[in-house]
Amino acid sequence: MTLWSFLILLLGGVATGTIGALLGLGGGVFLIPFLVFVFNLPMHQAIATSIVAVIATSSAGAAMNIERQTVNIRLGMLLEIATVLGAILGGLTANYLSNYTLTKIFAALLLIVSVVMIRRNRGSNKHEIVFQDGILGGSFVEGTSGETVTYTVKRVPALLAVSVVAGNISGLLGVGGGIFKVPAMHIISALPMKAAAATSNFMIGVTAAASAFIYFSHGHLNPLVGSTAALGVLAGSFLGVKLSRTIKSKALIWIFAAVLLFISVELFMR
Amino acid sequence: MTEQPVEAIQHTVERWTSRSLKFGVSLSGGVMVFGLILFAAQSFSTPLPQHNPTMSEILRNLTSGSINPFTLMYAGLILLMLTPFLRVLTAVAGFAAEKDKKFVLVSLAVFFFLMVELLYSLYR
Repeated sequence: MTLWSFLILLLGGVATGTIGALLGLGGGVFLIPFLVFVFNLPMHQAIATSIVAVIATSSAGAAMNIERQTVNIRLGMLLEIATVLGAILGGLTANYLSNYTLTKIFAALLLIVSVVMIRRNRGSNKHEIVFQDGILGGSFVEGTSGETVTYTVKRVPALLAVSVVAGNISGLLGVGGGIFKVPAMHIISALPMKAAAATSNFMIGVTAAASAFIYFSHGHLNPLVGSTAALGVLAGSFLGVKLSRTIKSKALIWIFAAVLLFISVELFMR
Repeated sequence: MTEQPVEAIQHTVERWTSRSLKFGVSLSGGVMVFGLILFAAQSFSTPLPQHNPTMSEILRNLTSGSINPFTLMYAGLILLMLTPFLRVLTAVAGFAAEKDKKFVLVSLAVFFFLMVELLYSLYR
């Protein structure tokens, strides 16, 4: 690797991590296409790299969110049983699939993610309804208003089912799966968005670790690409969180949903 | 006077979990950065290993005294991949300190499945 390609990889990691954090996604959905298109990495290697980057950003983000008390640790631990099982199955399955098949499945995922982004962006910010008759309750202080939001969790079995699927996608395609878990927690179980996003991020690291060693043992983890990208994405995610306080992301979501749609079509055509 | 200790006990799992994550990310990040600096110091010319080493080979290389940048990068990546394991173990200890038996079992179940994956990968 030359100095230039090293710098491109590092900056690409920073850029994908920043965009991911700005849009409330992990860096994976952007990092994998970057590695495939720019560095011509095989899909399995790109996924393995994304998995270590996801562990780095989730671990750093979760440490901060726990201090802010927005993570529902008990709910997260319970759902991790489902996500870990799903991820192990996903990781094992991925190693039996060809590069071609995995690329097409990833393209389909990008298509779904871009549609979810557009739909979420078009929805209005309705007042959140929280329930007090569920289980595994939690509370946190709302940053802008200073109000304490207390909530409980409803329909946990349904959430466990969604978590198996999200874990499976994470193990199979190297993304966090938050795009599915966060809306499910919010819509099915009536978790406030802030708690849903923080709890999902908390779970992503353990979910990714559940398939990381499978990819490692199959020889898909390139140490140079993995370290550079993980550090780049980690730095980018911090930058993205800072920028998200000043940049209004509605227009950004439209732009990057279109970018993902374009990448999806490109990957389908490959 | 009596409220503070109760509060402190209630948040044991949160504090310990947060610290374990920060520790894991800092340690693994530091080792990876050291590996990358060493790689840069050798003019980006150290060739990639012919085959991916096993975890025991990485450990042997680290203790042999001749430090290779890729060994350090692998070590950093493995430490990073082990950070969630540490986080789950810390949660087991935290819930035990809070005397929450149900969640000690839940955390142990997560740890068990993670260990199944790790052992499968080691001995496959």
